[in-house]
Amino acid sequence: MLRYVIRRLVMLLGIVFVISVGSFYLIHLLPGDPAVVILGTGATPQNKLILYKQLGLNRPIYEQYFTWIGNVLHGNMGTSFISQTSVASTIRAALPIDVELIVLSQILAFAAAIPLAMRSSRRPDGPLDRILGATSFTLLSVPSFIIIVLLVLFISIKLGIPHTGPSSYVTLSSDWIANLESLALPAFTLAIGSFVVYYRVLRSDLIATLQEEFITMARSKGISQRRIMWRHAFRPSSVALLGSAGVNIGGLLAGGFVVQYLLAIPGLGFTLINAINMSDYLLVQGIVLVVSVGVVLINFIFDFIINIVDPRISRE
Amino acid sequence: MSENEKLLVVKDLVTTFATPGGPLPAVGGVSFDLDQNETLGIVGESGSGKTVLSRTIMGLQPRTNVTVSGSALLNGFEVVGASERAKRQIWGTDVAMVFQDPMTSLNPVMRIGKQIDESLRVRHGMSRSSAKHRAIELLELVGIPSPQQRYSAYPGQLSGGMRQRVVIAIALAGSPKLLMADEPTTGLDVTIQAQILNLLDELKERLKMSVILVTHDLGVVATRTSRIIVMYAGRIVEMGTTRDVFQDHRMPYTRALLESSPKVASPSHTRLVTIPGRPPNLLKLAAGCSFAPRCAYATDRCRQERPELQPAGDPGHLFACWNPLPTTRGATPQ
Amino acid sequence: MNELLEEVSLVERPEKNKPLGILFWVCVGWVALNVFGAIFANVLPLQNPLFENFSAVNAGPGLHHLFGTDDLGRDIFSRVVYGSRVSIAVGVGAMLIGFGIGAPLGMLAAYRRGRFDMVLTTVMYILLAFPAIIATIAVLSFWAPRGLAKIILVIGLASVPLVYRVIRTATMSIATKDYIIAAKVQGATDRRILVKELLPNVTPIGVSFLLIGVATVITLEGALAFLGLSVNPPTPSWGNMINEARTVMAQNPWLVIFPSLALCLFLLCLNFIGDRLRSHFDVTEVKL
Repeated sequence: MLRYVIRRLVMLLGIVFVISVGSFYLIHLLPGDPAVVILGTGATPQNKLILYKQLGLNRPIYEQYFTWIGNVLHGNMGTSFISQTSVASTIRAALPIDVELIVLSQILAFAAAIPLAMRSSRRPDGPLDRILGATSFTLLSVPSFIIIVLLVLFISIKLGIPHTGPSSYVTLSSDWIANLESLALPAFTLAIGSFVVYYRVLRSDLIATLQEEFITMARSKGISQRRIMWRHAFRPSSVALLGSAGVNIGGLLAGGFVVQYLLAIPGLGFTLINAINMSDYLLVQGIVLVVSVGVVLINFIFDFIINIVDPRISRE
Repeated sequence: MSENEKLLVVKDLVTTFATPGGPLPAVGGVSFDLDQNETLGIVGESGSGKTVLSRTIMGLQPRTNVTVSGSALLNGFEVVGASERAKRQIWGTDVAMVFQDPMTSLNPVMRIGKQIDESLRVRHGMSRSSAKHRAIELLELVGIPSPQQRYSAYPGQLSGGMRQRVVIAIALAGSPKLLMADEPTTGLDVTIQAQILNLLDELKERLKMSVILVTHDLGVVATRTSRIIVMYAGRIVEMGTTRDVFQDHRMPYTRALLESSPKVASPSHTRLVTIPGRPPNLLKLAAGCSFAPRCAYATDRCRQERPELQPAGDPGHLFACWNPLPTTRGATPQ
Repeated sequence: MNELLEEVSLVERPEKNKPLGILFWVCVGWVALNVFGAIFANVLPLQNPLFENFSAVNAGPGLHHLFGTDDLGRDIFSRVVYGSRVSIAVGVGAMLIGFGIGAPLGMLAAYRRGRFDMVLTTVMYILLAFPAIIATIAVLSFWAPRGLAKIILVIGLASVPLVYRVIRTATMSIATKDYIIAAKVQGATDRRILVKELLPNVTPIGVSFLLIGVATVITLEGALAFLGLSVNPPTPSWGNMINEARTVMAQNPWLVIFPSLALCLFLLCLNFIGDRLRSHFDVTEVKL
């Protein structure tokens, strides 16, 4: 187990290194003098000098990288020349909103997916299983940006429910009820996407597990069906579920921009899109780095959880 | 002994699976009974329906795509047609099963101690600590060294023989009156096989249980059972005391089965006789005796008319054959 | 319990390849119709998708304008048909790049094994850990100016590691089968085994994955268009039609509903075809 964790940690560091190089190099994809592009209209000789110093643009590229990564490790990702605020503080303000949105959506998704998968796996091809199978397959083909648009159209515009429309985000600290209302539609939208994946993965694994001999053995002890499902079938069936949850939650962090963008919820995704539209390249670079590392970390954590849940894996 | 003192009375038991190829009669009308403290062997090739029979008797057949008819009266409880909820009351306490393959019958992600004391706590309302105490006792009873440590091991950390001992401990947790052992030694090394079988024997005496030993290997049942049932294609083809079946068998299939199993007494390098052909396709059973296509003595009658079980002479000795082998007991009855 | 059934039956199971079913062919027909419309949009009797008819603004669905018109009086039906061009081009183009690079590498790595496989697989798994969406957005936002070709190239390259993994796994499961080993032992050349033995067996897996991949890329393009990172207006694409319609959807919901419906139906059909092919060829589920 320990050896496994160490091996994964080394791999994690390698991947984070590659990500940092990738994010760093983005600046050099810009056409022409990066300083001019980054500064945009504010390209005064004075500002250019500051930026050159900040990025070390006149030095060899590997030195530039080490200067940059050194700063990043000290929590300094530069100061945006567009908004005049530090990239790190902008990210610190936006990230908790993403976290809240993801947590809410995952609670909804798991609360629906687990009991429904358990019910339908008990009667594969039964009526409930068929209905849920068709529904989830259809939902699989509906992109989240369509769901959120339709939800806004029907719930906040046609029904006129307050705090649900675009630009009605309320911070958690000012009014938590209004905050939940304003996050209800995006959380629900993200939950649908997660639910579909979790339901399908867990259902098929449960069906396979319920065929196992140890389930018959558990039955022969005379314990209840509920206990068999939760204590005996659920845990060995949850490896793929956890794996897809890791990938999916990472995907929500990276791909949550769509619902945030439509409702103007100031999370990382929304901030990223705004930064792209304003050509605020240092902020884009910072968000790309933070989100990428976040995704990798989430995957790592879930790998670790899987190992605890199923001791067979690290033994192999 | 009158019928209501029997531990188990099975009558015309039929188990049919619904398969994509049509209904499959895995057990095709079986009747027998079992006394208290008796060890009964059920023998047959794989595919003879013995595993399905043993599960049907305790009501443990799959919950979907299976129909069961007939009767199986277990300690006064009618298993056939009983609800899952009702059957839970007899599982573990009246009847328990030792499963075939200890590699698949233990939950791989649950500590073995939890698997043993689960039924103690859930079914018998024992406290956490006394259930643990009892579970360690059971581990000791089935001969697992340092049971304290093994209590919190995962199945993957034990050898096959140890795992099978754990499976037995789980089965014993509810002090069952009847223990079903379904090929309890198939997946194990030969030396371990004997240990497990001896353990079962010993436990049967100590705990005053009845045992049904299901196996394909006649050698396993030779010294351990009082009676033997030979199954073929879902039916009983011969049944009697162990002595009758071994020494005075009348059904050619029984003899073929005996000749195909290795015997300690025979000189080394003795060729084993294999039974020609394959077990029949249960989806397309012919009208006559199902063994006829593989039988050296088969006649037209065998192929057209199915023989019913008939008494052979000794009380309780039955066989189903039109052309039985001559009895070794001098005079043929009739 | 399956073991139990096998034990009792010992019969040759009936062929378990599921029939494709009528719904499968309906889906194939719908996809074909969309592709046909996308290719021949110019020659079909459609109204100009960019023509702004100010005498018929925000018209509902009707005979003259089948799906109605938008706030600039453009015909929605014709824009939906033209809009499929971008989605299909990006979906097919990106997957061609992804499979063009990822599939041969995956097959070769799985067949050769050894150091070549080890190095390549490590590199691919590191790339796979890099979140593809964010990488795509990052590159597209820095790499100005944006255009259809660039979008196809970036998404295509981003999909290479995924395609590589799927094809490698699929090839490996086949390459260890007895008949491949037999062919090797009989001295068949590597090229012959790869082309004659492995390729025909990997193809069904590849095709079903390809279709689901096209659907995924189309979704991604839609999301990019939604953010204004895909082709620039006024060129219609399903994604940017939905995006543009957001501001007026209270007055004219058709503007959102028709392109959404077109997109979802197309995706549903692609996914359905892919899924059916997968279970038809009895391929275990490969996650995208």
